[in-house]
Amino acid sequence: MTVRTYLLPRSRPEALGLLGAHGPELLVMAGGTVAMPLINEGISLPEAVMGLRLAGLDGLERAGDRLRIGATATLTQLLDQDAVPMLREAARNTASWSIRNMGTVGGNLFTPPPGGDVAVALLALDASVTLASTRGERVLPLADFMTGFMSTELAADELLIEISVPIRGEPTAYLKLGRKHASTPSVVTVAARLEWRDGRVADARIALGAVGPHPIRAAEAEQLLVGTRLDAEAIAAAAVAAAQGCEPFTDGIATDWYRRRMAGLFVGRALEQLAPGAAGEGR
Amino acid sequence: MNVRGSHTMEAPRAVVFAAICDPDALLGIIPGCREIEQVGDAEYRGQISLRLPGVVGTYRTVVRLVDSDPPSYGRLEGELEGTLGTVTGHATFRLAESGGRTTIEYEGQGVIGGPLARLDARFAEGLAGSLIKQGLRNLGSRLKADPAAGTPSDHRQPTREIPA
Repeated sequence: MTVRTYLLPRSRPEALGLLGAHGPELLVMAGGTVAMPLINEGISLPEAVMGLRLAGLDGLERAGDRLRIGATATLTQLLDQDAVPMLREAARNTASWSIRNMGTVGGNLFTPPPGGDVAVALLALDASVTLASTRGERVLPLADFMTGFMSTELAADELLIEISVPIRGEPTAYLKLGRKHASTPSVVTVAARLEWRDGRVADARIALGAVGPHPIRAAEAEQLLVGTRLDAEAIAAAAVAAAQGCEPFTDGIATDWYRRRMAGLFVGRALEQLAPGAAGEGR
Repeated sequence: MNVRGSHTMEAPRAVVFAAICDPDALLGIIPGCREIEQVGDAEYRGQISLRLPGVVGTYRTVVRLVDSDPPSYGRLEGELEGTLGTVTGHATFRLAESGGRTTIEYEGQGVIGGPLARLDARFAEGLAGSLIKQGLRNLGSRLKADPAAGTPSDHRQPTREIPA
Protein backbone atom coordinates (compact mmCIF):
# COMPACT_ATOMS: atom_id res chain seq x y z
CA MET A 1 0.00 0.00 0.00
CA THR A 2 1.44 3.35 -1.02
CA VAL A 3 -1.45 5.69 -0.28
CA ARG A 4 -0.13 8.64 1.75
CA THR A 5 -3.09 10.98 1.44
CA TYR A 6 -6.80 10.20 1.55
CA LEU A 7 -9.08 13.12 0.74
CA LEU A 8 -12.75 13.05 1.66
CA PRO A 9 -14.47 16.14 0.23
CA ARG A 10 -17.84 17.10 1.74
CA SER A 11 -19.25 18.79 -1.34
CA ARG A 12 -19.08 18.73 -5.11
CA PRO A 13 -17.20 22.07 -5.39
CA GLU A 14 -14.67 20.84 -2.84
CA ALA A 15 -14.19 17.61 -4.81
CA LEU A 16 -13.68 19.51 -8.08
CA GLY A 17 -11.27 21.91 -6.39
CA LEU A 18 -9.19 19.07 -4.94
CA LEU A 19 -9.06 17.32 -8.33
CA GLY A 20 -7.94 20.53 -10.01
CA ALA A 21 -5.30 21.15 -7.34
CA HIS A 22 -3.84 17.63 -7.29
CA GLY A 23 -3.98 16.96 -11.02
CA PRO A 24 -4.23 13.68 -12.89
CA GLU A 25 -2.21 11.70 -10.32
CA LEU A 26 -5.08 11.89 -7.84
CA LEU A 27 -6.97 8.60 -7.87
CA VAL A 28 -10.69 9.24 -7.67
CA MET A 29 -12.63 6.50 -5.94
CA ALA A 30 -16.37 6.11 -5.45
CA GLY A 31 -17.38 2.66 -4.15
CA GLY A 32 -13.87 1.29 -4.52
CA THR A 33 -14.96 -1.97 -6.13
CA VAL A 34 -12.77 -1.30 -9.19
CA ALA A 35 -9.84 0.49 -7.53
CA MET A 36 -9.33 -1.44 -4.30
CA PRO A 37 -8.61 -4.86 -5.87
CA LEU A 38 -5.98 -3.19 -8.07
CA ILE A 39 -4.44 -1.40 -5.07
CA ASN A 40 -4.49 -4.50 -2.89
CA GLU A 41 -2.79 -6.53 -5.61
CA GLY A 42 -0.07 -3.90 -6.00
CA ILE A 43 -1.02 -3.10 -9.59
CA SER A 44 -2.20 0.40 -8.72
CA LEU A 45 0.10 2.45 -6.48
CA PRO A 46 -1.56 5.85 -5.96
CA GLU A 47 -0.03 8.27 -3.48
CA ALA A 48 -3.22 10.31 -3.12
CA VAL A 49 -6.80 9.05 -3.23
CA MET A 50 -10.00 11.09 -3.17
CA GLY A 51 -13.09 9.27 -1.92
CA LEU A 52 -16.41 10.64 -3.20
CA ARG A 53 -18.53 8.95 -0.51
CA LEU A 54 -19.45 12.21 1.25
CA ALA A 55 -19.37 14.58 -1.73
CA GLY A 56 -23.15 14.72 -2.06
CA LEU A 57 -23.28 12.95 -5.41
CA ASP A 58 -25.48 10.05 -4.33
CA GLY A 59 -28.94 11.47 -5.05
CA LEU A 60 -31.50 9.51 -7.03
CA GLU A 61 -34.69 11.31 -7.94
CA ARG A 62 -37.36 11.58 -10.56
CA ALA A 63 -37.31 15.01 -12.18
CA GLY A 64 -40.13 15.41 -14.69
CA ASP A 65 -39.69 12.79 -17.39
CA ARG A 66 -36.16 11.86 -16.38
CA LEU A 67 -34.52 9.83 -13.64
CA ARG A 68 -31.51 11.71 -12.27
CA ILE A 69 -28.93 9.38 -10.77
CA GLY A 70 -26.02 10.83 -8.83
CA ALA A 71 -22.72 9.30 -9.90
CA THR A 72 -22.13 7.76 -6.47
CA ALA A 73 -25.65 6.40 -6.00
CA THR A 74 -25.15 2.72 -5.23
CA LEU A 75 -26.44 -0.19 -7.26
CA THR A 76 -28.59 -1.05 -4.24
CA GLN A 77 -30.28 2.35 -4.60
CA LEU A 78 -31.22 1.37 -8.17
CA LEU A 79 -33.07 -1.63 -6.77
CA ASP A 80 -35.26 0.68 -4.72
CA GLN A 81 -36.57 2.84 -7.59
CA ASP A 82 -39.46 1.88 -9.84
CA ALA A 83 -39.36 4.64 -12.46
CA VAL A 84 -37.15 2.60 -14.82
CA PRO A 85 -37.72 -1.14 -14.34
CA MET A 86 -34.82 -2.15 -16.60
CA LEU A 87 -32.35 -0.48 -14.24
CA ARG A 88 -33.72 -2.48 -11.34
CA GLU A 89 -33.30 -5.65 -13.37
CA ALA A 90 -29.75 -4.68 -14.36
CA ALA A 91 -28.76 -3.91 -10.76
CA ARG A 92 -30.27 -7.16 -9.55
CA ASN A 93 -28.09 -9.03 -12.06
CA THR A 94 -24.88 -7.26 -11.08
CA ALA A 95 -22.44 -8.78 -8.58
CA SER A 96 -23.59 -9.61 -5.03
CA TRP A 97 -25.47 -7.75 -2.28
CA SER A 98 -22.25 -6.66 -0.58
CA ILE A 99 -20.76 -5.31 -3.81
CA ARG A 100 -24.03 -3.63 -4.81
CA ASN A 101 -24.04 -1.86 -1.44
CA MET A 102 -20.62 -0.35 -2.27
CA GLY A 103 -20.46 -0.21 -6.06
CA THR A 104 -21.87 2.92 -7.67
CA VAL A 105 -23.79 3.61 -10.86
CA GLY A 106 -21.07 6.03 -11.99
CA GLY A 107 -18.35 3.52 -11.20
CA ASN A 108 -20.14 0.91 -13.28
CA LEU A 109 -19.51 3.06 -16.37
CA PHE A 110 -15.76 2.67 -15.77
CA THR A 111 -15.81 -1.05 -15.05
CA PRO A 112 -13.96 -2.98 -17.75
CA PRO A 113 -15.80 -5.81 -19.52
CA PRO A 114 -17.08 -8.37 -18.69
CA GLY A 115 -18.28 -5.98 -15.94
CA GLY A 116 -20.48 -2.96 -16.54
CA ASP A 117 -23.89 -4.66 -16.68
CA VAL A 118 -25.75 -1.54 -15.54
CA ALA A 119 -23.97 0.50 -18.21
CA VAL A 120 -25.46 -1.85 -20.83
CA ALA A 121 -28.97 -1.02 -19.63
CA LEU A 122 -28.18 2.70 -19.47
CA LEU A 123 -26.95 2.56 -23.08
CA ALA A 124 -30.20 0.99 -24.27
CA LEU A 125 -32.13 3.65 -22.35
CA ASP A 126 -30.38 6.56 -24.13
CA ALA A 127 -28.86 7.81 -20.87
CA SER A 128 -26.70 10.91 -20.80
CA VAL A 129 -23.86 11.79 -18.44
CA THR A 130 -22.91 15.12 -16.87
CA LEU A 131 -19.20 15.82 -16.52
CA ALA A 132 -17.99 18.71 -14.38
CA SER A 133 -14.75 20.50 -13.64
CA THR A 134 -13.83 23.88 -12.22
CA ARG A 135 -14.18 25.07 -15.84
CA GLY A 136 -17.87 24.17 -16.01
CA GLU A 137 -20.18 21.35 -16.99
CA ARG A 138 -20.92 19.41 -20.15
CA VAL A 139 -23.51 16.77 -20.97
CA LEU A 140 -22.76 13.86 -23.29
CA PRO A 141 -24.82 10.94 -24.56
CA LEU A 142 -23.52 7.81 -22.82
CA ALA A 143 -22.89 6.32 -26.25
CA ASP A 144 -20.28 9.04 -26.88
CA PHE A 145 -18.80 8.88 -23.37
CA MET A 146 -17.32 5.39 -23.63
CA THR A 147 -14.52 5.49 -26.20
CA GLY A 148 -12.54 2.29 -25.70
CA PHE A 149 -11.35 -0.35 -23.26
CA MET A 150 -11.22 1.43 -19.88
CA SER A 151 -11.22 4.69 -21.82
CA THR A 152 -13.77 7.48 -21.74
CA GLU A 153 -14.21 11.10 -22.75
CA LEU A 154 -13.53 12.20 -19.15
CA ALA A 155 -10.80 14.86 -19.12
CA ALA A 156 -8.07 14.79 -16.48
CA ASP A 157 -9.74 17.53 -14.43
CA GLU A 158 -13.31 16.28 -14.77
CA LEU A 159 -15.59 14.24 -12.54
CA LEU A 160 -18.62 12.26 -13.63
CA ILE A 161 -21.40 13.93 -11.66
CA GLU A 162 -24.71 12.54 -12.82
CA ILE A 163 -26.40 10.05 -15.09
CA SER A 164 -29.76 11.09 -16.52
CA VAL A 165 -32.22 8.58 -17.95
CA PRO A 166 -35.41 9.35 -19.90
CA ILE A 167 -38.44 7.72 -18.27
CA ARG A 168 -40.52 6.04 -20.96
CA GLY A 169 -43.29 3.53 -20.85
CA GLU A 170 -42.02 1.31 -23.65
CA PRO A 171 -41.46 -2.37 -22.99
CA THR A 172 -37.85 -3.37 -22.41
CA ALA A 173 -35.93 -6.61 -22.09
CA TYR A 174 -32.76 -7.28 -20.12
CA LEU A 175 -30.97 -10.62 -20.21
CA LYS A 176 -27.63 -11.63 -18.77
CA LEU A 177 -25.93 -14.95 -19.38
CA GLY A 178 -23.41 -15.99 -16.74
CA ARG A 179 -21.86 -19.26 -15.67
CA LYS A 180 -24.10 -19.31 -12.61
CA HIS A 181 -27.31 -17.59 -11.58
CA ALA A 182 -25.96 -14.81 -9.37
CA SER A 183 -22.79 -12.86 -8.60
CA THR A 184 -21.20 -13.86 -11.86
CA PRO A 185 -19.26 -12.15 -14.64
CA SER A 186 -21.14 -11.90 -17.90
CA VAL A 187 -20.75 -14.15 -20.91
CA VAL A 188 -23.01 -11.71 -22.68
CA THR A 189 -25.52 -9.12 -21.49
CA VAL A 190 -28.34 -7.80 -23.71
CA ALA A 191 -30.57 -4.80 -23.11
CA ALA A 192 -33.28 -4.02 -25.68
CA ARG A 193 -35.87 -1.29 -25.98
CA LEU A 194 -38.33 -0.75 -28.85
CA GLU A 195 -40.55 2.14 -29.82
CA TRP A 196 -43.69 1.20 -31.73
CA ARG A 197 -45.93 3.06 -34.18
CA ASP A 198 -48.96 1.53 -35.92
CA GLY A 199 -47.87 -1.99 -35.08
CA ARG A 200 -44.37 -1.56 -36.44
CA VAL A 201 -41.04 -0.90 -34.80
CA ALA A 202 -40.38 2.85 -35.07
CA ASP A 203 -37.04 2.86 -33.28
CA ALA A 204 -34.85 0.25 -31.63
CA ARG A 205 -32.05 0.11 -29.10
CA ILE A 206 -30.02 -3.01 -28.56
CA ALA A 207 -27.04 -2.72 -26.21
CA LEU A 208 -24.55 -5.51 -25.60
CA GLY A 209 -22.12 -6.13 -22.77
CA ALA A 210 -19.04 -8.37 -22.55
CA VAL A 211 -18.71 -8.58 -26.34
CA GLY A 212 -16.67 -5.44 -27.01
CA PRO A 213 -14.11 -3.11 -25.44
CA HIS A 214 -17.01 -1.45 -23.60
CA PRO A 215 -20.82 -1.75 -23.67
CA ILE A 216 -21.76 -1.27 -27.32
CA ARG A 217 -24.85 -0.68 -29.45
CA ALA A 218 -25.74 -3.28 -32.06
CA ALA A 219 -26.36 -0.54 -34.62
CA GLU A 220 -26.95 -2.74 -37.67
CA ALA A 221 -29.36 -4.97 -35.79
CA GLU A 222 -31.25 -1.89 -34.60
CA GLN A 223 -31.60 -0.61 -38.16
CA LEU A 224 -32.83 -3.97 -39.43
CA LEU A 225 -35.69 -3.91 -36.93
CA VAL A 226 -37.07 -0.49 -37.83
CA GLY A 227 -40.22 -0.79 -39.94
CA THR A 228 -40.78 -4.47 -39.17
CA ARG A 229 -43.60 -6.06 -37.14
CA LEU A 230 -40.91 -7.92 -35.16
CA ASP A 231 -41.82 -11.23 -36.69
CA ALA A 232 -39.58 -14.29 -36.47
CA GLU A 233 -37.74 -13.37 -39.65
CA ALA A 234 -36.90 -9.86 -38.40
CA ILE A 235 -35.75 -11.21 -35.04
CA ALA A 236 -33.51 -13.79 -36.70
CA ALA A 237 -31.95 -11.18 -38.99
CA ALA A 238 -31.27 -8.83 -36.08
CA ALA A 239 -29.75 -11.63 -34.01
CA VAL A 240 -27.37 -12.55 -36.84
CA ALA A 241 -26.38 -8.91 -37.34
CA ALA A 242 -25.73 -8.42 -33.63
CA ALA A 243 -23.56 -11.52 -33.47
CA GLN A 244 -21.60 -10.52 -36.56
CA GLY A 245 -21.15 -6.92 -35.49
CA CYS A 246 -19.83 -7.46 -31.96
CA GLU A 247 -16.19 -7.74 -30.90
CA PRO A 248 -16.09 -10.57 -28.35
CA PHE A 249 -12.97 -11.55 -26.41
CA THR A 250 -11.68 -14.64 -24.67
CA ASP A 251 -11.16 -14.73 -20.91
CA GLY A 252 -11.55 -17.19 -18.06
CA ILE A 253 -15.32 -17.01 -18.40
CA ALA A 254 -15.83 -17.75 -22.10
CA THR A 255 -14.14 -17.87 -25.48
CA ASP A 256 -14.77 -15.23 -28.11
CA TRP A 257 -16.46 -17.88 -30.27
CA TYR A 258 -18.92 -18.77 -27.50
CA ARG A 259 -19.60 -15.14 -26.65
CA ARG A 260 -20.46 -14.37 -30.28
CA ARG A 261 -22.81 -17.36 -30.48
CA MET A 262 -24.51 -16.38 -27.24
CA ALA A 263 -24.77 -12.73 -28.30
CA GLY A 264 -26.92 -13.76 -31.27
CA LEU A 265 -28.95 -16.21 -29.23
CA PHE A 266 -29.68 -13.77 -26.41
CA VAL A 267 -30.49 -10.85 -28.71
CA GLY A 268 -33.05 -13.19 -30.29
CA ARG A 269 -34.48 -14.14 -26.89
CA ALA A 270 -34.67 -10.53 -25.74
CA LEU A 271 -36.54 -9.53 -28.91
CA GLU A 272 -38.89 -12.50 -28.57
CA GLN A 273 -39.84 -11.13 -25.15
CA LEU A 274 -40.81 -7.86 -26.84
CA ALA A 275 -42.63 -9.41 -29.80
CA PRO A 276 -46.41 -9.00 -30.21
CA GLY A 277 -48.20 -11.65 -28.20
CA ALA A 278 -45.23 -12.38 -25.94
CA ALA A 279 -46.01 -12.71 -22.23
CA GLY A 280 -45.54 -9.38 -20.56
CA GLU A 281 -45.28 -7.33 -23.73
CA GLY A 282 -46.95 -4.04 -23.05
CA ARG A 283 -47.90 -2.20 -26.18
CA MET B 1 1.80 -7.64 -25.47
CA ASN B 2 0.78 -7.29 -29.11
CA VAL B 3 -1.24 -4.55 -30.73
CA ARG B 4 -2.34 -4.07 -34.31
CA GLY B 5 -4.98 -2.14 -36.13
CA SER B 6 -5.78 0.48 -38.72
CA HIS B 7 -7.40 3.88 -38.90
CA THR B 8 -8.45 6.11 -41.79
CA MET B 9 -8.06 9.90 -41.76
CA GLU B 10 -9.32 12.68 -44.03
CA ALA B 11 -5.86 13.95 -45.00
CA PRO B 12 -3.09 13.18 -47.51
CA ARG B 13 -0.44 10.83 -46.18
CA ALA B 14 2.39 13.38 -46.41
CA VAL B 15 0.48 15.55 -43.94
CA VAL B 16 -0.25 12.57 -41.69
CA PHE B 17 3.39 11.46 -41.73
CA ALA B 18 4.59 14.96 -40.93
CA ALA B 19 2.16 15.19 -37.99
CA ILE B 20 3.45 11.91 -36.56
CA CYS B 21 6.96 13.41 -36.51
CA ASP B 22 5.92 16.81 -35.16
CA PRO B 23 6.19 17.28 -31.35
CA ASP B 24 3.60 20.06 -31.44
CA ALA B 25 1.10 17.74 -33.08
CA LEU B 26 2.04 14.79 -30.88
CA LEU B 27 1.43 16.85 -27.74
CA GLY B 28 -2.16 17.32 -28.77
CA ILE B 29 -2.90 13.81 -29.97
CA ILE B 30 -1.19 11.42 -27.52
CA PRO B 31 -3.68 10.72 -24.72
CA GLY B 32 -2.44 12.25 -21.46
CA CYS B 33 0.69 13.76 -23.02
CA ARG B 34 1.80 16.69 -20.84
CA GLU B 35 5.06 17.56 -22.51
CA ILE B 36 7.18 16.37 -25.39
CA GLU B 37 10.37 17.56 -27.05
CA GLN B 38 12.55 16.47 -29.90
CA VAL B 39 16.03 15.69 -28.59
CA GLY B 40 17.66 14.36 -31.74
CA ASP B 41 17.02 13.99 -35.45
CA ALA B 42 14.49 11.26 -34.77
CA GLU B 43 14.27 10.98 -30.99
CA TYR B 44 11.56 12.34 -28.74
CA ARG B 45 11.23 12.50 -24.96
CA GLY B 46 8.04 13.23 -23.13
CA GLN B 47 5.85 12.82 -20.11
CA ILE B 48 2.44 11.18 -20.11
CA SER B 49 -0.10 11.22 -17.28
CA LEU B 50 -2.76 8.56 -17.53
CA ARG B 51 -5.86 8.59 -15.38
CA LEU B 52 -7.54 5.24 -15.85
CA PRO B 53 -10.22 3.56 -13.75
CA GLY B 54 -8.46 2.52 -10.54
CA VAL B 55 -4.99 3.28 -11.88
CA VAL B 56 -3.26 6.63 -12.17
CA GLY B 57 0.34 7.37 -12.98
CA THR B 58 2.87 9.53 -14.78
CA TYR B 59 5.31 8.00 -17.21
CA ARG B 60 8.47 9.25 -18.85
CA THR B 61 8.80 8.11 -22.42
CA VAL B 62 11.51 8.00 -25.07
CA VAL B 63 10.59 7.19 -28.67
CA ARG B 64 12.95 6.86 -31.62
CA LEU B 65 12.04 6.71 -35.30
CA VAL B 66 14.65 4.09 -36.23
CA ASP B 67 13.67 3.52 -39.83
CA SER B 68 11.45 5.40 -42.22
CA ASP B 69 10.47 5.83 -45.84
CA PRO B 70 8.40 9.03 -45.81
CA PRO B 71 5.51 9.29 -46.32
CA SER B 72 4.66 5.60 -46.41
CA TYR B 73 6.52 3.71 -43.70
CA GLY B 74 8.08 4.10 -40.29
CA ARG B 75 9.47 1.95 -37.52
CA LEU B 76 9.48 3.16 -33.92
CA GLU B 77 11.25 1.91 -30.82
CA GLY B 78 10.59 3.22 -27.37
CA GLU B 79 10.38 2.92 -23.64
CA LEU B 80 7.80 4.02 -21.11
CA GLU B 81 8.81 4.20 -17.46
CA GLY B 82 6.91 5.14 -14.30
CA THR B 83 6.10 4.02 -10.77
CA LEU B 84 3.86 1.29 -12.05
CA GLY B 85 6.54 -0.28 -14.21
CA THR B 86 8.03 -0.16 -17.66
CA VAL B 87 6.98 -0.92 -21.18
CA THR B 88 9.64 -1.50 -23.85
CA GLY B 89 8.54 -2.04 -27.39
CA HIS B 90 8.67 -1.42 -31.08
CA ALA B 91 6.08 -0.76 -33.74
CA THR B 92 5.81 -0.32 -37.49
CA PHE B 93 3.27 1.72 -39.38
CA ARG B 94 2.36 2.00 -43.05
CA LEU B 95 0.41 4.81 -44.65
CA ALA B 96 -1.67 4.24 -47.79
CA GLU B 97 -3.44 7.10 -49.57
CA SER B 98 -6.61 6.81 -51.61
CA GLY B 99 -8.72 9.72 -52.80
CA GLY B 100 -7.12 12.18 -50.40
CA ARG B 101 -7.73 9.89 -47.42
CA THR B 102 -4.97 8.08 -45.57
CA THR B 103 -5.21 4.69 -43.92
CA ILE B 104 -2.57 3.95 -41.32
CA GLU B 105 -1.91 0.30 -40.50
CA TYR B 106 0.14 -0.36 -37.38
CA GLU B 107 1.53 -3.33 -35.57
CA GLY B 108 3.61 -3.44 -32.42
CA GLN B 109 4.97 -5.58 -29.64
CA GLY B 110 5.79 -4.58 -26.09
CA VAL B 111 7.30 -6.16 -22.99
CA ILE B 112 5.86 -5.05 -19.66
CA GLY B 113 7.88 -4.99 -16.44
CA GLY B 114 7.04 -4.11 -12.82
CA PRO B 115 3.59 -4.03 -11.19
CA LEU B 116 1.93 -3.40 -14.58
CA ALA B 117 3.09 -6.86 -15.64
CA ARG B 118 0.54 -8.34 -13.20
CA LEU B 119 -2.22 -7.05 -15.42
CA ASP B 120 -3.97 -9.70 -17.45
CA ALA B 121 -2.69 -9.65 -21.06
CA ARG B 122 -6.22 -8.82 -22.24
CA PHE B 123 -6.17 -5.73 -20.05
CA ALA B 124 -2.71 -4.59 -21.16
CA GLU B 125 -3.46 -5.12 -24.85
CA GLY B 126 -6.94 -3.65 -24.50
CA LEU B 127 -5.56 -0.54 -22.85
CA ALA B 128 -2.70 -0.10 -25.33
CA GLY B 129 -5.04 -0.58 -28.28
CA SER B 130 -7.53 1.83 -26.79
CA LEU B 131 -4.92 4.55 -26.24
CA ILE B 132 -3.55 4.16 -29.78
CA LYS B 133 -7.03 4.40 -31.28
CA GLN B 134 -7.78 7.47 -29.18
CA GLY B 135 -4.52 9.07 -30.35
CA LEU B 136 -5.30 8.36 -34.01
CA ARG B 137 -8.84 9.72 -33.60
CA ASN B 138 -7.30 12.86 -32.10
CA LEU B 139 -4.89 13.10 -35.04
CA GLY B 140 -7.72 12.65 -37.54
CA SER B 141 -9.80 15.34 -35.83
CA ARG B 142 -6.84 17.71 -35.67
CA LEU B 143 -6.01 17.30 -39.36
CA LYS B 144 -9.65 17.64 -40.38
CA ALA B 145 -10.02 20.85 -38.37
CA ASP B 146 -6.71 22.31 -39.48
CA PRO B 147 -5.30 20.64 -42.61
CA ALA B 148 -2.03 22.58 -42.16
CA ALA B 149 -1.52 21.12 -38.67
CA GLY B 150 0.70 18.36 -39.93
CA THR B 151 2.76 20.48 -42.27
CA PRO B 152 6.45 19.96 -41.55
CA SER B 153 7.83 22.72 -39.34
CA ASP B 154 10.87 23.43 -37.20
CA HIS B 155 10.71 20.44 -34.86
CA ARG B 156 13.32 21.72 -32.44
CA GLN B 157 10.93 23.64 -30.31
CA PRO B 158 11.06 24.02 -26.55
CA THR B 159 8.95 21.78 -24.37
CA ARG B 160 5.37 22.90 -24.14
CA GLU B 161 2.82 22.04 -21.53
CA ILE B 162 -0.92 21.82 -22.05
CA PRO B 163 -2.53 24.69 -20.14
CA ALA B 164 -4.54 23.47 -17.16
